[in-house]
Amino acid sequence: VCAQVETSPRRCWQKVLYERQPFPDNYVDQRFLEELRKNVHARQYQYWAVVFESGAVVQQLCSVCVFVVTWWYMDAGVLSPQGLFGAALVSSLLGYVLFDAIDAGVGRRESGRTRWADLKSTLVFIAFTYGFSPVLKTLTESISTDTIYAMSVFMLLGHLIFFDYGANAAIVSSTLSLNMAIFASVCLASRLPRSLHAFVMVTFAMQIFALWPMLQKKLKARTPRCYVAVTVLFALAALAGLASVSSVGAVLFASLLLSISCLCPYCLIRLQQLKDNIHGPWDEAEIKEDLSRFL
Amino acid sequence: MQSQERPFRSASGEPLALRRRQHSASCRELALRRPRLQLRSLSAVTSAVWLAAYGVFVLSENSMVLSAAIFITLVGLIIYLHFVKIDQESLLVIGSLGIQLTSSYASGKESTTFIEMSRVKDVVINEAIYMQKVIYYLCILLKDPQDPQGVSEVVPLFQSSQPRLDCLMEVYKSCQEILDQRKEAPQSSGIK
Amino acid sequence: MAPRRSAGGSGAEMAAGGRAARGAAAAQSVCMVSDFFYPNMGGVESHIYQLSQCLIERGHKVLVVTHAYGGRRGVRYLSNGLKVYYLPLRVMYNQSTATTLFHSLPLLRCIFLRERVSVVHAHSSFSAMAHDALFHAKTMGLRTVFTDHSLFGFADVSSVLTNKLLTVSLCDTNHIICVSYTSKENTVLRAALDPRIVSVIPNAVDPTDFTPDPSRRDDGTVTIVVVSRLVYRKGIDLLSGIIPELCQKYPELHFLVGGEGPKRIVLEEVRERYQLHDRVRLLGALEHQDVRNVLVQGHIFLNTSLTEAFCMAIVEAASCGLQVVSTKVGGIPEVLPENLIILCEPSVKSLCDGLEKAIAQLRSGTLPSPEAVHNKVKTFYTWRDVAERTEKVYERVAGEKVLPMNERLDRLISHCGPVTGYIFALLAVLNFLFLVFLRWMTPDSIIDVAIDATGPKGAWTKQYFSGKKGRVKEEPPIS
Repeated sequence: VCAQVETSPRRCWQKVLYERQPFPDNYVDQRFLEELRKNVHARQYQYWAVVFESGAVVQQLCSVCVFVVTWWYMDAGVLSPQGLFGAALVSSLLGYVLFDAIDAGVGRRESGRTRWADLKSTLVFIAFTYGFSPVLKTLTESISTDTIYAMSVFMLLGHLIFFDYGANAAIVSSTLSLNMAIFASVCLASRLPRSLHAFVMVTFAMQIFALWPMLQKKLKARTPRCYVAVTVLFALAALAGLASVSSVGAVLFASLLLSISCLCPYCLIRLQQLKDNIHGPWDEAEIKEDLSRFL
Repeated sequence: MQSQERPFRSASGEPLALRRRQHSASCRELALRRPRLQLRSLSAVTSAVWLAAYGVFVLSENSMVLSAAIFITLVGLIIYLHFVKIDQESLLVIGSLGIQLTSSYASGKESTTFIEMSRVKDVVINEAIYMQKVIYYLCILLKDPQDPQGVSEVVPLFQSSQPRLDCLMEVYKSCQEILDQRKEAPQSSGIK
Repeated sequence: MAPRRSAGGSGAEMAAGGRAARGAAAAQSVCMVSDFFYPNMGGVESHIYQLSQCLIERGHKVLVVTHAYGGRRGVRYLSNGLKVYYLPLRVMYNQSTATTLFHSLPLLRCIFLRERVSVVHAHSSFSAMAHDALFHAKTMGLRTVFTDHSLFGFADVSSVLTNKLLTVSLCDTNHIICVSYTSKENTVLRAALDPRIVSVIPNAVDPTDFTPDPSRRDDGTVTIVVVSRLVYRKGIDLLSGIIPELCQKYPELHFLVGGEGPKRIVLEEVRERYQLHDRVRLLGALEHQDVRNVLVQGHIFLNTSLTEAFCMAIVEAASCGLQVVSTKVGGIPEVLPENLIILCEPSVKSLCDGLEKAIAQLRSGTLPSPEAVHNKVKTFYTWRDVAERTEKVYERVAGEKVLPMNERLDRLISHCGPVTGYIFALLAVLNFLFLVFLRWMTPDSIIDVAIDATGPKGAWTKQYFSGKKGRVKEEPPIS
């Protein structure tokens, strides 16, 4: 075999099976693995773009922080329920107007939802919550306060984990996330002194965990600059609130926010360079066309 | 009548003795004898059970345990000797009549099966997966009454002693000699 | 079940010729292990069967070990004394057995010992039993060969895990066989192997089974044949786009689809929507012997696979004289020369273009005649050639040493990464201790040596080929 190869150097190896070639079966040609491609789909990230995207995580952390701080003030009796309810109502109305103003009412027209429907669902929600708040108050009486705190912590953590930050992953579930947050708010509200407190706390949770992220999403899509400003302001507000409760907590929280918005993107970009994703002719072909038009 | 005995081993390494008895040209008896129950192992098992029972008695302080242990060993021994422990398996092949399979239990009980020669199609050695082993075994193929070429049933032989291949070959050859005689017989009578 | 005898020629001549040709080379006692074997049908199954038959013909002793299929358990014999052990192991998923890495050792050890196996040849990376057998064979110090029949990606979590297991399984295997060069590249990357211990030996088809018959075609129409399992990986979704596209353009076009699977419903919907009941025929599952009768009714063969290590279907179709149109994926470009195949990108548009080109050639009469194509294709792939090349692998492996335990542990630890390496090194040690225990329980000396059915001392081969009218000692079980 070798002699043959040497005498006819022009006869080079071909990547075909139908022909018997003068090479042993385990011959390794120079062309071996020449069709190997690496990191075909790997994305190149820009540092500031990643920092901008991390805003969603920062916002959500701040929401949880603001919620807990508010609860703490209510529990300590510093904040009156009427005051909180009034503030929340005003900010909700502002947000409602803003929500339509950002895209000049385009989203509303597309969804076909009337203002009357919005008002109706708000009234129904408020009436039900108000009616059931005495039940909320007594619901968890038999459960120890430590258990309630532990449960709230787990539920809020779960809310943060399953929240839809815009990633396309299997773990994301906005319904589960919202339910966990509401559950945590119900748990915490039941430890407040009166049923009016509980009612205000649950409404506030609804506003901060359900309505606020919707507004944020729209802000982010339409006016990125505004979104950055709002995020920074919101983060500062949350930090200030936390600082008035515990200065150590505020320092820790500030470092957490900084590491998420600055350090983590840096790590992502550094690790991206180490990515080693192999592609070649053996990959299963993807059907890129939309075949549903034939059906 | 000539008789001879040769030592063999079973598939699990146990010693076996094959005794061949030639009653006449077309009648042969093949018996596989397994070792008898050893007094040593019997006493070892009994004392182990009794010691365990005594241990339970010391802990629970209930004398019922002791009497139950004695009762269980006695009943267990009777069942073992009467239904489980087979001392000898034998195969009596009579060319003109049939094949008789006998298993003798340690208690002296015997169970016998007889297969008429007209139903016997052949005697063959086969392979099977038995527990975690692949072993050879001897079996009788029975004719299917509807289909003369077919086989209706397979009767395995020496199931408890499980002799190794060399022993099976010995038995197989003996059986085939007699079965061959049977096959030749109708032809010769036909010529006459 | 009645597997076909290997192709042509009288058995006696073939055996005599094979043995003479082999000359000084020692006959091996080969044990093929895979979860996939008859009565299951598929590429791996027929590969094992045909390869075994040709190796028996060349004078080797071959046995197949697989798991029990329903009532089919125990020891069976197929044509020419191919002995098959159907082991009673629990099937977990897709006909693959569950594995604990240990529980099959007693039975496999017994088989390896009683059959005096010298080479353990495992097939298919999807088969847990094949990997178990490799693991045990290495523990027992036997030589090992592995044939990989499939391609695997690197992107998702499941393939990362399977590739790691393959690395562990193949790092101390003596030799690996792949069915195409693409498959070799894939396996070398997946298992981080030295490419020199990987041989490429293609699959084959039996050309006598796939002969052209132009009289069966209807030349007033153009018939496109598709024969494949109707699953996503075979690109049936693409087919569902091609059918309406082309049927609207060519009124005389007919489709003939053989095969069964979950994607059948998609084709039925398309047929319903475009009212193509008389032009698209779905034949359902085909028996292997019926495939040829379907193929010869068509002019063009269409293969829409999305991934394929070596596509047997296109070789079968070409052997029947059809013009082949196929997606350009995996090892397909290596299989047929350019003048016999039209390669397309895996998209509806590209495949339609390819089919239109084929239809135009067919109408203008520039296609070579089916007989000419058949005569050309039948020289490409034969099972005898596959067996001859596999035999060379066995010879090479027989000259290699099996890694002793300490070197094997070193290899596992250095080759498979710090965590996996140590875990599997520990498992290898446990397996060895289990073997020592089994040796103590039933010493090698009391395991009977089986009577060879095939090979140099084969009872079957002698009786079968030398024409001696001796009774075979064991009869094949009938029940």
